[in-house]
Amino acid sequence: MTEASLPRRRPPAHVRRKRLINAVANHCVLVAVAIAFLAPFAFIALTSLMTNNQALSSHVWPSPFHLHNYIDVWHRAPLLRWSLNTLMYSGLSTLGMLVSSIPVAYALARLKWRGRNFAFMVVLVALMLPPQVTVVPLYVMWSKLHLVGTLWPVILPNWLGDAFSIFLLRQFFLTIPEEYLDAARVDGCGELRILVTVVTRLAKPAIAAVALFSFLYTFNDFFLPLLYVGTNPNNWVLSIGLAQFRSFHQVQWNLTMAATLLVMAPVIVLFFLAQRAFVEGVTLTGVKG
Amino acid sequence: MRRIAAAMVLAGAVAVAALLAGAARSSSPTKLTIWVGWSAGNELTSFKALAAEYDRAHPDITVNVVGGITDDKIVAAIRSGNAPDIASSFNSYNVGNYCGSGGWIDLAPLMAKDHISASIFPPAPRYYTQYAGKRCALPLLADDYGLYYNKTMFKAAGITHPPRTLDELTAFAKKLTIRNKDGSLKRVGFDPFIGFYENTPERWIVAFGGKWNDAKGHAILAKNAAWTKWANWQKSLIDWYGYKNLVRFQAGLGDEFSASQAFEAGKLAMNFDGEWRVSFIKHEHPTLSYGTAPMAVDAANTNNYGAGYINGTIIGIPRGGHHLAQSWALVKYLTTNSHFLAQFSNDIRNVPTTTASLKSPEIKPDAHFATFLQIFGDPHSTTSPIMASGAAYTNLVQSFFQKWQAGQVGNLPSGLAKLDSQLDAQVAQAKGGGSVP
Amino acid sequence: MLLLMSPWIIGFSVFFGYPLVMSAYLSLNHYDLLSSPRWVGLANYRYMFHDDPQFWTAVKNTVIWMVGIAVPLQVLFAFGVAVMVARVRSGAGVFRTIFYLPALAPPVAATLGFVYIFNPATGPVNNGLAKLGIQGPLWFNDPSWSKPSLILLSLWGIGNTMVIFLAAVLDVPQHLYESAELDGAGPWQRMRWVTLPTISPVILFAVVLGVIQGLQYFTQAFVAAGVANGQATQAADVSSASLGYPLDSTLFYPVLLYQWGFSNFQMGYASALAMLLLAVSFAVTMVIVLNSRRWVHQTVPR
Repeated sequence: MTEASLPRRRPPAHVRRKRLINAVANHCVLVAVAIAFLAPFAFIALTSLMTNNQALSSHVWPSPFHLHNYIDVWHRAPLLRWSLNTLMYSGLSTLGMLVSSIPVAYALARLKWRGRNFAFMVVLVALMLPPQVTVVPLYVMWSKLHLVGTLWPVILPNWLGDAFSIFLLRQFFLTIPEEYLDAARVDGCGELRILVTVVTRLAKPAIAAVALFSFLYTFNDFFLPLLYVGTNPNNWVLSIGLAQFRSFHQVQWNLTMAATLLVMAPVIVLFFLAQRAFVEGVTLTGVKG
Repeated sequence: MRRIAAAMVLAGAVAVAALLAGAARSSSPTKLTIWVGWSAGNELTSFKALAAEYDRAHPDITVNVVGGITDDKIVAAIRSGNAPDIASSFNSYNVGNYCGSGGWIDLAPLMAKDHISASIFPPAPRYYTQYAGKRCALPLLADDYGLYYNKTMFKAAGITHPPRTLDELTAFAKKLTIRNKDGSLKRVGFDPFIGFYENTPERWIVAFGGKWNDAKGHAILAKNAAWTKWANWQKSLIDWYGYKNLVRFQAGLGDEFSASQAFEAGKLAMNFDGEWRVSFIKHEHPTLSYGTAPMAVDAANTNNYGAGYINGTIIGIPRGGHHLAQSWALVKYLTTNSHFLAQFSNDIRNVPTTTASLKSPEIKPDAHFATFLQIFGDPHSTTSPIMASGAAYTNLVQSFFQKWQAGQVGNLPSGLAKLDSQLDAQVAQAKGGGSVP
Repeated sequence: MLLLMSPWIIGFSVFFGYPLVMSAYLSLNHYDLLSSPRWVGLANYRYMFHDDPQFWTAVKNTVIWMVGIAVPLQVLFAFGVAVMVARVRSGAGVFRTIFYLPALAPPVAATLGFVYIFNPATGPVNNGLAKLGIQGPLWFNDPSWSKPSLILLSLWGIGNTMVIFLAAVLDVPQHLYESAELDGAGPWQRMRWVTLPTISPVILFAVVLGVIQGLQYFTQAFVAAGVANGQATQAADVSSASLGYPLDSTLFYPVLLYQWGFSNFQMGYASALAMLLLAVSFAVTMVIVLNSRRWVHQTVPR
């Protein structure tokens, strides 16, 4: 939090009392909202430990704790296969996004060329338009290439630049002081060398944030995998498998909630491992104005 | 760096090439992939075991069975060129779609070559496996619908026989219903809610002898009095329970294809269901004391008592397959071989679909199941129309009656008239967006 | 430059330029992916505006609910929480983490969890209400409650916006507050005359993003309808029959487009629907892009 640097005058007693009451009230409301925000996680976790019949009853607390659900769930559905597919989708997409988007963002941020502003506008438009607008012809295209049913239609586009990542990286690249780049130019580096040796090193936090977002986005993505691999259970990712979990396997809520928690877990662990990069990244999208 | 970029492009191209090559590779015994809808209970296991029997007898092929397939998946797979060698669907709703679009190939030439006549199939299955005279599918066991009733509850309530008319059904349903202190439902005598378990308009309208289309294929739900009569009967029973009470009750019930299904779990005294439930109950609740009967009919329609709605699993060959001869041989076996049909019918208690297999000595008798064999043989039993827009047609009708039961259709006659024109417009759109007739 | 830009130029033409042109062409055709496209002129558009019984339902659901009602609620709620967290002297980090966490939950998982928690008969929410003697609503199973339930789900996942607001609120220079206080401004006046004007670009950004997301709202509606419907009903063997459950109340525009394109495979009509979505979202986008100077960081001198 920002600390005030100016010397503060000590306010009179009644003002201080009023401030205290306000602070307490503020705290109470926040705690209440926080409990409401955590409650769904708690209910999901508790249900995942119940027996089949208990989950359909009005009891909130599992008795006995049915830890076996977490073993059952792996037998009832090919969770491992879905996880590996998800990892492939997220991993390859993120990698491709980085390789293709960093140069584009650099060109948009630090190189001077005619049409640059127009190109940036086009990136913005691409960023804003819903995927549904282009999905029909793309589906036709991929089906003619016989790639519907595989994950390639969702992975390959990331290897040709992702508008959101380009936008975010450009915002960060703009903040790199020109002197660093000039120094490298004086040393006789070409723009590519500068990009690889200087810019990527300076922009590490932004690149980490963009990689995280891309990973998360693909991990959570539902619409595009539904279109392209929905018909091929071998290539289902976690989001698709989880959505069809109940109808496909005729299982009850307890196992469904166990699977739900298992799908949430990696993201939440990732968050606690890389909390800083997350928050910096989110902030980067909004507050640079 | 330029070299790196070039290498990247190259690597991408190699990956794609490898992928395409992988997709096209095939091994020496031909692998036939067959998609089926079965997934629950013992159904998939049984089909796999019987398919393995065929597999062992035919060394030139291996059969790969994939279960849990829905129509959405079949339709999408055909459009995207990923269809299996053989596909089967739980119902005929999309036959108009499969045959009309050419997504499933025409089987008539293959049948003619092997001297198989469509007349070996009973009338209803014969009808729902073709569209406008084009036969792109064959029936693989049928479903028909009747009434399941809990004998213990009947006895406790002093009811001695299953209802034959809808008035009786209504009276019994009310008598068998138990409410909680707060008015919510604890046990429901009979739930006619459209969208609940097997309740759909096409299965219900048989009880009123309703008609769908005129000679030109236009929808006549407004003109045919049966629909209005059924809608009013259904809504009055819903309103007796309270629409919201029923929704709340249903949300607390177990999944239809699990052991906690409501009739099996004793939360419904009577239920409208398909013949397969006989097998589910046998495996999941062998001690349940219950009976089966044809669905009760409208008082003005009593000579139709004994009839029911028929639909069933269909099977066909999606276009673009590479092993036509072997695929056809397997389809022929699955749809015409009496031994297979009888065995599979015994296992999952679906109705055999050739006249020969219906009489097969291999069929094991079962009193509960016999009801459904009689319904199947009843001359008044019918199925739903096969339309160009496929499942969207019956979906639109269902969605109308769901609005109706919720009280969102003000005026029934004008609502039905509007539904008719929407149905006609939908069919015209599916046929090519041309003029609305 | 060209080398650096080339992946994007290729990507843009293949995955953006080409489909836009193609979509416009297909929208004037009947196309089922099996036979070649057949020219039908404006028939698809006529069916859309005159005959499709679900079109206007989908438009209303999307524009009134997911844009008109959900977006202001989300922005207000996120702003309120951010301001409260900013006031806390200790433990702000913990609160920030708690409020951000649900935003991370994968949408499919979050939706499944919510449908279970709000199950009218057995869910913990209605069980809790019943203990208080209140009969809870039918939530995802009632056409008049399904959209409020979805909005509740979206408020739970408000973390991203909240973090952005929080950073913006903390960025407001302290001396502005102090001089306002010296002028005798109370907390509300300080909020009105200092905080809001300073962070208005961020609010604009959040609104715009909300509108864009509202227009493409799909996953949660698709999953909630399927799961809530599947709770007790499996009557429909065709899984697309649950789209919009209950009673088309969760049939949003992208869901309608999915239904026509990828369940009925009427690619021509689906393209016509896509063209309208393009027109609307392009208009929204233009508003943003033309105002982009106000929120896009521009430090490099030209």
